[in-house]
Amino acid sequence: MTFAISGECCSDASCVAVCPMNSIHPSPGEAGFGTGVSLFIDPRTCIDCGACADICPVDAAKPADRSAAEDVSRNAAYFAGSDPLAAMDLDTWEPPEYQVWGGGPRRVLVVGAGPAGMYATRELLLRTDAEVTLVDRLAEVGGLVRFGVAPDHPQTKQIIDTFERITRHPRARWRPGTTAEELLGRGGFDAVVHAVGARRSRRLGIVGEDSACTAEDFVAWCNGRPGAVLPVELNGPRVVVVGNGNVALDVARLLVSDDERLRSMDVAAGVRRVLGASGIREVVLLGRRGPEDAAYTESALQELQAMSGGRVTLKYHATPVAWTGADRTPSADRAASGASGAGRGLLLDGGELISAGTLVTAIGFEGDPIDGLPFDSARGTVPNVRGAVVGRPGHYVAGWIKRGARGGIGVNKACAQETVQTLVSSSRGAVSPGS
Amino acid sequence: MDETAQRLLGSADRLSRDPETEIDWDAPVGDGYGLSPEWSTLYGTSYWDELSVDQRRELTRHESASVATTGIWFEMILQQLILRDIYDKPPRTAEFQWALTEIADECRHSIMFARATAKLVEPAYRPRLLARELGRMFKTVATGESAYAAILVAEEVLDVMQRDWMRDRRVAPLVRTVNHIHVVEESRHMVFAREETRERLASAGRGRRWVSALVIAIAADMIVSSMVSPQVYANVGLDVDRAVREARRNEHHRSLLRTSCANLMDFLGSVGLLTPAAARVYRRTGLL
Ligand SMILES: Cc1cc2nc3c(=O)[nH]c(=O)nc-3n(C[C@H](O)[C@H](O)[C@H](O)COP(=O)(O)OP(=O)(O)OC[C@H]3O[C@@H](n4cnc5c(N)ncnc54)[C@H](O)[C@@H]3O)c2cc1C
Ligand code: SF4
Ligand code: SF4
Repeated sequence: MTFAISGECCSDASCVAVCPMNSIHPSPGEAGFGTGVSLFIDPRTCIDCGACADICPVDAAKPADRSAAEDVSRNAAYFAGSDPLAAMDLDTWEPPEYQVWGGGPRRVLVVGAGPAGMYATRELLLRTDAEVTLVDRLAEVGGLVRFGVAPDHPQTKQIIDTFERITRHPRARWRPGTTAEELLGRGGFDAVVHAVGARRSRRLGIVGEDSACTAEDFVAWCNGRPGAVLPVELNGPRVVVVGNGNVALDVARLLVSDDERLRSMDVAAGVRRVLGASGIREVVLLGRRGPEDAAYTESALQELQAMSGGRVTLKYHATPVAWTGADRTPSADRAASGASGAGRGLLLDGGELISAGTLVTAIGFEGDPIDGLPFDSARGTVPNVRGAVVGRPGHYVAGWIKRGARGGIGVNKACAQETVQTLVSSSRGAVSPGS
Repeated sequence: MDETAQRLLGSADRLSRDPETEIDWDAPVGDGYGLSPEWSTLYGTSYWDELSVDQRRELTRHESASVATTGIWFEMILQQLILRDIYDKPPRTAEFQWALTEIADECRHSIMFARATAKLVEPAYRPRLLARELGRMFKTVATGESAYAAILVAEEVLDVMQRDWMRDRRVAPLVRTVNHIHVVEESRHMVFAREETRERLASAGRGRRWVSALVIAIAADMIVSSMVSPQVYANVGLDVDRAVREARRNEHHRSLLRTSCANLMDFLGSVGLLTPAAARVYRRTGLL
């Protein structure tokens, strides 16, 4: 029967550490970890002990008889080309790694209570006996898990419970609704970990883009982030979503959800009303390159196709040049009809016009510069060496502001661990490998 | 519960290990470490720096034997807790049969640990008197979530160490194999203990939860502080007072323990067993 991991997996690798048979891959350090979204269980070696399911914070690991058939076959397929690892041969396991204590920091400030900040806090509490002050400008922990992850993925959001428990640790001081500036002025910290994320949407740079909706605004609105409003009207019957990542797929799924489906999600009545009244029948997902280059994961695509009933079309090799959909001025109308001969919508570089009432751009995110720290504006990150900010001793980064806006929730765990390791070893002896 | 038990029985069917036949008990132990040196109670202290490589290896072998002895001690408590718990349950249920399977596992493990320690070092270890007497009381009176969560604490603390040692090539092959056997079967036991703890707590009021949380924390303290007997230092020829003093203040060891117990603490937090009073005990013990 064995166990299987579903697409809800946020690859935090908690299960890898508890599997007694070394059946779960890719593990951190192995090729492929942190690139896809999910981990997989090798059905040839799994002994059904259930330890992975017990530890999984988002209920992604399940017995095969309670998993979707696609999940079971995806898990098996991942290992199809390799020999089973013999867990009995203990030398096939990764050797253990140790960090050697040598007096850690006393007080650390962690800025941002998204996944990266939470994992960094947890790691600091475990590795050191420092007091950790955690701040977020929002009133709640979770960052993009709370206000980004799609509301029809409630399982994924369960990780927030784990984060909330971290804030209750006796050595953690959780300060909601506070920014770094308010605390840093007063000083008194040995180190600061900036885990502020990267939630600003990248821009297409085309004419008319100002009247399009960014993924940032859309997901914030859907998830009820305080103060978030939808900046454009949602108009059907067709919507174009530019982007080929999982966020684009999230947006498409929400746009074609009928009222019944929306009612099953944790979304505000206002959001449901607007989506219901929009008259959206169809979504076109636009990718600049081919399906082989698409950034979405296999499981996310399967999910979308299964629920959308053919109302989502994927279009590849398409480069938008102008958006005239929402703009009702006569000149824009003329520009649009002049180019293609008819109507409003998204104009592609080949001259084709996709008529649509709303455009959503979901082509990735980038970070904002942090006061007093260097910034790489091409990558949208703070330049760092294994988490230590270049040229600013005592300052560290973790999460999307460190690596760029890539990778799921759990990838921030390994990322934050690396940062804390750097932080702690700058005040003590080196890291020793196991053997 | 029965569904979990059914699954665990199926798992035991797929893979149960027999130390009797799997381990060549006549083979020489070799001269590996008894546990990963980083897990030694003295690793990282100034005393450790003064020890020769031979002394360090000898120390870890004695520590390993002492930890295994604590394991045997606790497995005996555990067998009685479970036996008492299922005493009048219907034998045809999966839960009942799984419980007996677990007792059988523990029984084999205790024999395995006993034999392995005998091969590893000359002297025999025992938990200190206070722990033995408190354990005697605990195994007679503990019920419900206190029993199962305490089982879980003991199993998890041991489990995480053993996962490191079994993967470590510096550790004697006998110890590595023994540890892997334990880790595989223990993973099922921990699933069972978590499930039972959750189930028993479902009906618990605030008062009972508070008491249980404290009892479990004290049990955890007793288990962790009994792992390495001071006798170990004497048998290796060290200055016992100094070794105990340095081990107690060893922040490296405390941070290893904390990291190892992270999942356990998270579980206790998620079921409401990390009350402020319990958290204070765990902090003192060095688990939080
Ligand atoms: C729309 C969307 C959907 C996603 N869905 C999934 C999914 O289903 N599964 C998955 O695994 N991953 C998903 N991800 C990816 C995942 O959300 C990210 O990997 C993760 O959130 C990045 O973590 P972070 O901590 O770096 O940033 P964030 O989550 O953005 O957290 C940063 C935090 O810092 C705070 N902050 C910022 N500036 C300051 C300041 N100056 N002072 C105080 N606080 C500040 C913010 O309020 C925020 O809480 C999704 C991402 C997006 C955008
Ligand atoms: S979410 Fe984490 S624990 Fe769950 S299956 Fe994925 S990697 Fe494993
Ligand atoms: S059920 Fe057990 S053996 Fe199978 S993958 Fe999960 S932890 Fe590993």
